[in-house]
Amino acid sequence: MKYGLVAAHGYDPGPSQRPLTAGAISGILATVPAILVLIAFGSLKVEAHILGISQLETLASGWLAMAVAGAIYARFFGRSANAVRGGWLFGSSFGFALWGAGAVLVLPLLSGGRAPAGDAAAGLALALIVWGFAIGVLVPFVHRPLHEGLEKASKHKSVGPDAAAVPKGPVHQQRPKSRS
Amino acid sequence: MIRVVALRKAIVAGLAGAAAMEVFSLASAAVGIPAVDLVRELSTSEFHRLPLIAEAAALIAHLSIGVSWAVFYAFFFWGRFHIRPMLQGLIFALLPATLAIVVVYPELAVMRTHADLVTLTLRSFFAPLSLATVASLLIAHALFGLTVGAIYRRPVGYSVDHKPPRPAQRRQISGPKRRENSTAFMFATGIECSYPTIDHGRWRRDEMESTRHYELWQHDFQLSREIGITHIRYGPPLHLVYEGPGRFDWDYVDPQMAELHDFGPEPIVDLCHFGLPSWLGDFQNPDIGPALEEYAGAFADRYPWARFYTPVNEMYVCARMSALDGLWNEQLHDEGAYARAAWNLANASVRMSDAILKRREDAVFINSESSEFYQPCCPDAEIQKVAEAANERRFLPLDLIFAHPLSKPMHDLLCSQGISEDDIGKIGRRKVPRRSILGVDYYEWNERLIDRQGHAQALGELFGWYVIADQYWQRYRRPMMHTETNKMDADGAPRWLWRQWHNVQLLAKAGVPLVGFTWYSLTDQIDWSIAINEALGLVYPVGLFDLNREARTVGLAYKHLIDLYRDQPAYADCAALREIMQ
Repeated sequence: MKYGLVAAHGYDPGPSQRPLTAGAISGILATVPAILVLIAFGSLKVEAHILGISQLETLASGWLAMAVAGAIYARFFGRSANAVRGGWLFGSSFGFALWGAGAVLVLPLLSGGRAPAGDAAAGLALALIVWGFAIGVLVPFVHRPLHEGLEKASKHKSVGPDAAAVPKGPVHQQRPKSRS
Repeated sequence: MIRVVALRKAIVAGLAGAAAMEVFSLASAAVGIPAVDLVRELSTSEFHRLPLIAEAAALIAHLSIGVSWAVFYAFFFWGRFHIRPMLQGLIFALLPATLAIVVVYPELAVMRTHADLVTLTLRSFFAPLSLATVASLLIAHALFGLTVGAIYRRPVGYSVDHKPPRPAQRRQISGPKRRENSTAFMFATGIECSYPTIDHGRWRRDEMESTRHYELWQHDFQLSREIGITHIRYGPPLHLVYEGPGRFDWDYVDPQMAELHDFGPEPIVDLCHFGLPSWLGDFQNPDIGPALEEYAGAFADRYPWARFYTPVNEMYVCARMSALDGLWNEQLHDEGAYARAAWNLANASVRMSDAILKRREDAVFINSESSEFYQPCCPDAEIQKVAEAANERRFLPLDLIFAHPLSKPMHDLLCSQGISEDDIGKIGRRKVPRRSILGVDYYEWNERLIDRQGHAQALGELFGWYVIADQYWQRYRRPMMHTETNKMDADGAPRWLWRQWHNVQLLAKAGVPLVGFTWYSLTDQIDWSIAINEALGLVYPVGLFDLNREARTVGLAYKHLIDLYRDQPAYADCAALREIMQ
């Protein structure tokens, strides 16, 4: 199976969907509740301190990072990310993975072992899970209006009559294999 | 959605699993064995400032995490291994156990630190872990996995005594009206509606329920109209509607039929699709003929406007799966049982057609059957004989309903099962309704090789629909329709669609009267590759739309195809269909 577990649902979003845009937009929107959690637990201040930049700069870079993370999420989960019922779960898992792999393991490695502790650490964990939950819930709703309509999408060359042919290009352009 | 998830079951499994972990921790503590108590860990790390609610909040958090993992298990993991469900749960538990040991437990210790910032090394991060801690986390998670595995099983289908909720109410909509008695070529799809029983009649598979069609039926019809579908193969749930002799629960089909009547697509009503109501037993029951005759008559009375019918879908497949392969309904492995099932199904089909014709004499019957072909691998006489027998067997139900002379082996087989010469003669002399169309279904596994061991192996698309369908044409000489095809590889589906279409065109050019083409089905299907003989809930991307009801590439390709051909003169007014409709 080409993409392992995710392929069970037919991973490829196809030419009519815009997973990267939908994921990036959702990632930005989902950052809003996550920031509130970070502020409430004092985690933002600690993160800024660890990174050696201001809180505003931490917020800006965080927003950018979460837009990228959102795009990755929507592309990786593909059609599964569009599931209204399951989205929260995919998103929460992704948020948990970001926390476990990113915040707990990678961040200390990049900052000479310095890591948030106490309430700040709890806030960081909660913020990423909240972000994941939010992006999981948001993507299906953000993505739907971005889909190309059936009329336009059905005119793509990739779904037209040429699709019947072996995908190697026109016969006259195919070189015979060497017999040596 | 990776799997169809039974959310309630998953929630119960998660709660029970988390509770089992906590019971283990408390029991260990009671007998003096050191064990990690995750509820206590949570309450002391984050809820310590609110001692009154700390334990309760930590317990809720623990249970919520348990539920999340159980739902995760249901979406991603369940059914992946062909082993007992408890063992599946146990293997799955390695994932949360590993994360608990490597990330969560050490991080909880960091959260308990009375500082905002710490400097960690690998050694200091993993310092809270001891051998006893790791062992206790592993045991607790193993208990969680075993509990979740034991509880979460059979996410799709229901006990045969159960009735699922009735279809959603119909919302008022507007749009172009259904085009009645059209002679345009039929660009069709279908709503997958199989409803056999498994587990020796105890568990009902119901594909309409699993794919949420009962809930989303109106949206499904709307989607089919949007891509230009003219006809839809539609199988009302016989097992839910037909409650007993003279008793029908039409609530399961009234709203859908009203919508199809008003706005289309034109339904090709599929009256019996691989299953029976439990009160009728199975396909070994000779009484299914008169019973289904009553049902067909009642259906035609209730919906007199419906003109296209498939009385019994894929009789050969139904008889083979039920009586020879032992997968559905009676679950037998017996050639004689196959013959009885095939006879009963064909007899029912004939009686149903007659009952409908009494109410609507211009009814059109589309008798769909899976086109199959068996090729012997070698000149070995035994292998040749096996292939020949398989090839004869596939024709038996169609021979009966189309009054085609039976081969001697099939005739003798029927007689050996107590079916009289008189009955066989009667069905063989029957006048087949003029408006009968032979529906030929084709998938990439329909061509089979009989290997040296005498077993059938899938050949893939060796000869293709053109050659196999032509065998059926030569035998029955009936107008034909490609009534089912799809492809399990969603990426390759547009290619398969267009190639099937070229087969249809070529056969039509060869002079065979072809009236329609079908991509089956509208949405993805559940447990398709295992012939729905286990309730796993695996989603297969074979539909024009996925289960979120978003177009797959093959849905776009089908729309492209329909747009390209429907206004061509030979398709806008299909001569073969016009001849039938007259």
